[in-house]
Amino acid sequence: MASNGEPIVRLRGVGKSYANISALRGVDLAVREGEVTCILGDNGAGKSTLISIIAGLHPHDAGEYLVDGVPRRFSSPREALDLGIAAVYQTLALVPLLPVWRNFFLGSEIVKGRGPLRRLDREKMWAETRDELHRMGIDLENLEQPVGTLSGGQRQVVAIARAIHFGARVLILDEPTAALGVAQSGLVLRYVSQAARSQGIGVIFITHNPHHAYLVGDHFIVLSRGEVALDSPRSDLTLESLMFQMAGGKGLSALEHELQGGRDAQRA
Amino acid sequence: MTQARKTMVAALCATMSVGAFVATAGAAQAKQLTIAMITHAQPGDTFWDIIRKGAAAAAAKDDVKLIYLSAPEGPKEAQLIQNVIDQHVDGIALTLAFPDAEAPTVKAAQAAGIPIVGFNAGVDQWKAMGLLGYAGQDETVAGKAVGEQLNKDGAKNVICLDQQQGAVQLEARCNGIKATFKGKMEVLYATGYDMPTVKARTQAKLQQDPTIDYVVTLGAPFAPVVLDAIGAAGSKAKVGTFDMSPVAVDLIAKGKLQWAIDQQPFVEGYEAVDMIWLNKTNGDTVGGGQPVLTGPFFVNKDNAAAVAKYAKAGTR
Amino acid sequence: MTTAVETARRRQALPQSVWKKVLKRPEAGALGGAVLVFAFFWIIAPPFRQLAAFTTVLYQASTIGIPAVAIALLMIGGEFDLSAGVAVTSISLAASIFATHAVGGLWAGTIFSLFFALALGAVNGWLLIKTKLPSFLVTLGSFLMLQGLNIAITKLITGNVATEDISGMAGFGALKSIFAATFQFGRVQVSIAILYWLALAAIATWILLRTKTGNWIVAVGGQGDSARAVGVPVARVKVGLFMAVGFGCWFLAMHQLYAYNTVQSGAGIGSELLYIAASVVGGCLLTGGYGSAVGSALGAFIFGMTTEGVIYADWDADWFQFFVGAMLLLATVVNTWIRARASKGK
Repeated sequence: MASNGEPIVRLRGVGKSYANISALRGVDLAVREGEVTCILGDNGAGKSTLISIIAGLHPHDAGEYLVDGVPRRFSSPREALDLGIAAVYQTLALVPLLPVWRNFFLGSEIVKGRGPLRRLDREKMWAETRDELHRMGIDLENLEQPVGTLSGGQRQVVAIARAIHFGARVLILDEPTAALGVAQSGLVLRYVSQAARSQGIGVIFITHNPHHAYLVGDHFIVLSRGEVALDSPRSDLTLESLMFQMAGGKGLSALEHELQGGRDAQRA
Repeated sequence: MTQARKTMVAALCATMSVGAFVATAGAAQAKQLTIAMITHAQPGDTFWDIIRKGAAAAAAKDDVKLIYLSAPEGPKEAQLIQNVIDQHVDGIALTLAFPDAEAPTVKAAQAAGIPIVGFNAGVDQWKAMGLLGYAGQDETVAGKAVGEQLNKDGAKNVICLDQQQGAVQLEARCNGIKATFKGKMEVLYATGYDMPTVKARTQAKLQQDPTIDYVVTLGAPFAPVVLDAIGAAGSKAKVGTFDMSPVAVDLIAKGKLQWAIDQQPFVEGYEAVDMIWLNKTNGDTVGGGQPVLTGPFFVNKDNAAAVAKYAKAGTR
Repeated sequence: MTTAVETARRRQALPQSVWKKVLKRPEAGALGGAVLVFAFFWIIAPPFRQLAAFTTVLYQASTIGIPAVAIALLMIGGEFDLSAGVAVTSISLAASIFATHAVGGLWAGTIFSLFFALALGAVNGWLLIKTKLPSFLVTLGSFLMLQGLNIAITKLITGNVATEDISGMAGFGALKSIFAATFQFGRVQVSIAILYWLALAAIATWILLRTKTGNWIVAVGGQGDSARAVGVPVARVKVGLFMAVGFGCWFLAMHQLYAYNTVQSGAGIGSELLYIAASVVGGCLLTGGYGSAVGSALGAFIFGMTTEGVIYADWDADWFQFFVGAMLLLATVVNTWIRARASKGK
């Protein structure tokens, strides 16, 4: 899908150092409504640092971070959340032993009654949870069942649905398919795509699986050692070139050569 | 064989301690003596506090420095003995509640020439272990006296309420009762100062067997709780107790509690320290090889008023 | 994923039977264990069948159950409190000593001790948050410190290791009727502690299942980081839970003070394990995030039935603790078995 208008989130030359170690340098990024931006990279490439800056966990110390065109420097995730920027981490921010509907409203419970009789409005929360999940194509048998009994994909979807329900305009998804099988990954990817296209959410999709990224992404950024190694819209990229970049680019060719050579030597 | 060896060891130790005394006699005159008291007390127990007060009174009068230490387990008590040996104290007063666990360190103390006096627990062991003397109550004798008292009171079915299962001196009390009491006696265990448990268990026992007509508690703080339980269970049982407390004396005066059998813990603590002091300063062996008995003494309605004042002050 | 079949199945499954709902609750197992232990003693011990025996059992259960309700909430919130047993003694000592030596009034002593109890809980919670140590260690420390303070301060102020009898002081009658009253029904005596226990268990259950705070308690114990990420004030919830334990201990402390008039400063050691045991038997997970307040009441009830039942059955007293342990184990095995079956047959 083409970009439409001013980006919600824009980074310009953003960098971050921990002590003397530079974790991230010169990252440019724009997230628009209804667009999925994939961030790929090996372990230690700087993906987590980038997410923590966008989500407000750690402030950046170089460059500019604009939300709706206004420069920002967050000191807590709450501030990012208030501007509609929500992160869904691998650990999902779900409590496994808590029922689905209680998880859905955790931290933002709906209450009724006054004074000491203030209590949860169970009926309302039940209904809203059911409706929201239903809209996303998840139909659970029983909302009283603990989240831990759901499948991995369903759990991801519940977490994402919750972020959207509570006003997220930009969703940061940290490796949502990393621990999932093929079918479960499909469920999540379909949902991510649907959230962006039909609800106009800007999605930042962090992954190290180029296949998954290519299925849903509109724009691709590959990070390598804290720097942007590739920044390209979907139109300029094939899955093969993405995989090549992702696998380490020229470095991989050299490795392949070396290993091939070793095998030849053994044979000889 | 073992007996002979024990006697020999004891004799040897006695000789050694006398030797040690002679050697240090000159110096002892000049500096203040330090005496250690080591007990198996549970911290925060009224009874033991009275013993400590007695010891402190003797220490003040004799002008000696008193070190008081306690641990409710055998190995820990032995460790405390080792600790004061290392401090080179001039004498040790200890309770032989766990004679087997304490024996090796007692020997070490004797080898170091430190005179040792037993008190409160170990009436059957102190002599064999070569201790200088012993102050306390023979718990079996006290138990037997209670048994006689129960016969006199016309009891038929008695509960002996033991707050600490496995404590030798408490068991000796119950066994003593059994030896002389003509009726039926059963032991009921509670868990220390957990009063609701004491109440509930006594209540349950009285409901289980409504013919129970007497309850003997092995510690004074339990007597009022048992009276409470008797009321709650609608029983007519009477109550007597080992040891004393201001509340117990008050209950006796009011006629609710029949009697308290007092081993006079103040005297135990006092005598133990004093016996060491007399030995160190005058070479005395108090008791002359026999235990110095501090009880049993029955406090009942007739003499309650006389001891009430001291009980309130926390010395009886 | 939605399919017509699945939707139909959901509609069918919706009206869940009451029985299935009960089986799924954390306290289901404890209920089974309690029924079993009750039936067992009912059959083998005739004196156990009297109404009077039942109230004796309930009384014993209530003195464990009152703090155990709060401990259950704390454990659901993912923390332990080893200092609760000794804290009960500390609190009643505080009330008694403050009343007799500082102000000369029992009402003031009682109110002072309430603040003291809440402060104890707050300090435990604060230490936990600040040191980031496991609560097992933090409260073990406060357990030992309180144990020492109980004796040292009592002795320092009163000169003895037990407090004076307060039954003659002004206000004793009124306070006794609040905290330690007994009601006579024919030949059966019922302690007010039982009513408080049941009321506290009901309130705690309501908080846990029906309020925002309850939702947060479960979440904080189940996965603290997740809860924090969605805006649950984890530190505040934990400090609050420790203060709730302080409140539970205060209630029991006041009952003991006004029921038994004096306090032995060495008392209370070991009770903390009973509170924790009651909660665990009642279905609380040792790892937090799961459990119930009603369950802790059932756990305390099982413990009360077992300790008293052994007496009603007139088993050899030397074997007492063995039987208690064996019965508790049996009750817990039944408990776990029922829970396992319940979670399988969802």
